Amino acid sequence: MSIEIKSLHKSFGAFPAVNDVTLHIETGEMVAFLGPSGSGKTTLLRIIAGLEFADRGEVYFHGENVTPKSANERKAGFVFQSYALFNHMTIFENIAFGLRVAPRGKRLSREKILERVNSLLETIQLPGLANRFPAQLSGGQRQRVAFARALAVEPRVLLLDEPFGALDAKVRRELRRWLAEFHEKTHLTSLFVTHDQEEAFEVADRIVIIDKGAIQQIGTPDEIRSGSGNTFVKEFLALHI
Amino acid sequence: MASFIDFRNPPGSDRRADTVVRATAEPRWIRRILIGIVVFFFFLFLLLPLVVVFQGALVKGVGVLKEAFTDQDILHSIWMTLIVALITVPANTAFGIAAAWAVTRYHFSGRQVLLALIDLPLWVSPVIGGLIYVLLYGRRGYFGPWLQAHDIKIIFALPGMVMATTFVTFPFVARSLIPLMQAQGVEEEEAALTLGAGGFQILRRITLPKIKWGLFYGVILCNARAMGEFGAVSVVSAKISGKTNTMPLEIERLYNDYLFPQAFAVASALAILALITLGLKTLAEWENKRQFEAGQRSLLEPTIEAAR
Repeated sequence: MSIEIKSLHKSFGAFPAVNDVTLHIETGEMVAFLGPSGSGKTTLLRIIAGLEFADRGEVYFHGENVTPKSANERKAGFVFQSYALFNHMTIFENIAFGLRVAPRGKRLSREKILERVNSLLETIQLPGLANRFPAQLSGGQRQRVAFARALAVEPRVLLLDEPFGALDAKVRRELRRWLAEFHEKTHLTSLFVTHDQEEAFEVADRIVIIDKGAIQQIGTPDEIRSGSGNTFVKEFLALHI
Repeated sequence: MASFIDFRNPPGSDRRADTVVRATAEPRWIRRILIGIVVFFFFLFLLLPLVVVFQGALVKGVGVLKEAFTDQDILHSIWMTLIVALITVPANTAFGIAAAWAVTRYHFSGRQVLLALIDLPLWVSPVIGGLIYVLLYGRRGYFGPWLQAHDIKIIFALPGMVMATTFVTFPFVARSLIPLMQAQGVEEEEAALTLGAGGFQILRRITLPKIKWGLFYGVILCNARAMGEFGAVSVVSAKISGKTNTMPLEIERLYNDYLFPQAFAVASALAILALITLGLKTLAEWENKRQFEAGQRSLLEPTIEAAR
């Protein structure tokens, strides 16, 4: 599913968090929002998901204007930095949640839910943990459960907010590779927010560099590396590469 | 070096050198005095009165006690207390959840004012809580003439007593939920939202299970206060025994009429209701702890599996 963002504005008080952002994302792309903390990249992602509403501007999902729609109508798969798993539910129930709350006419049968959740547990390589609680899992395992939970409702777009931010370097690299492979197989349109350049350059088809709520440069990793960006981009990249 | 010798553990003392002396540890005699004071006050101000209440009820024998609890007026006061609590507690539970939700989930202008208003009943005397309803709905109050014209009785009747009790017990549920919900944050609710859940589904499946123990605690506190309220209710109730007297008001009437055993009988009934409340609260805390420990135990499972 393609995503279209048209001149989006959002301020918190006098502080402009997102400043006139226009962006087009093709179906099947994996795009990284890269920028320093406080640059407005998370706010932008949350506006796309419908968790935050812009002051001005529009969001289109596959040509359909979803600007006035709330997050539960947009149903973008969202993965939080801190996992946001339901701590009082088992892993099985966490993953099944989106299926259980579906409107009556569209709800899957119990057998189908069981089947779907078990196959997702295979996908995230955690079979046999269905009856555990989130507190009994490691950080990397929890984040994989969060992935499975978001994927269970078969979203047409996946939004990831610093998905590996809370994990240690080794698990980070493993999960990053896993995500790249998953995207290779499914070609699910995916946006992810990161402040880690290595992550952005390794996983993304295109990188959007953001600072002060505005887009500084958009391009493939190679284009960005070629040094065609403005002063901010050059300084920001030079700091880390 | 001599000045660095631990004065609590001088050389040659019988204490072993490796005994850890914490900076916060008090000398033993201070600890004993403090504990002694606490125990003394506990006996004098809490346990002794409770014993005296039950003793006072039994002093004239079980016959008087039986008589008291077959007395129509006394039975009616128990009934009134239960009915006031039965209306007030659910109303304030619903209000408390709504208020805690609004205050912790949204940032709107007037949020601070609302927070202060929730606390208002804790700051003012309950008598004032009763008085405001007399000024509003009493015969000479703002709505008095209109109410009289339509033959609606609020003051000196059950509606007024429910209102006054609601005012006094207003903060308890909201107060026990707000810090809890603030600490828990909104991420789980947001996750549920992106998974397609509606507002009511989120409340039932995510929020309520997360806050249930805090909610239970608040409801029990609210109930205890609703059953025991005296000041606010005494202003709006005409204190007609057999009609508008709740248990605390009936106790006062019996006492003023020199019917001490009966007064103590009703008082001990009220005390028993309070003890049941306390028991439920403790049970809730145990259950909470048990669930927590069960979760902790199953944490060890992976290690056991790995060892096999």
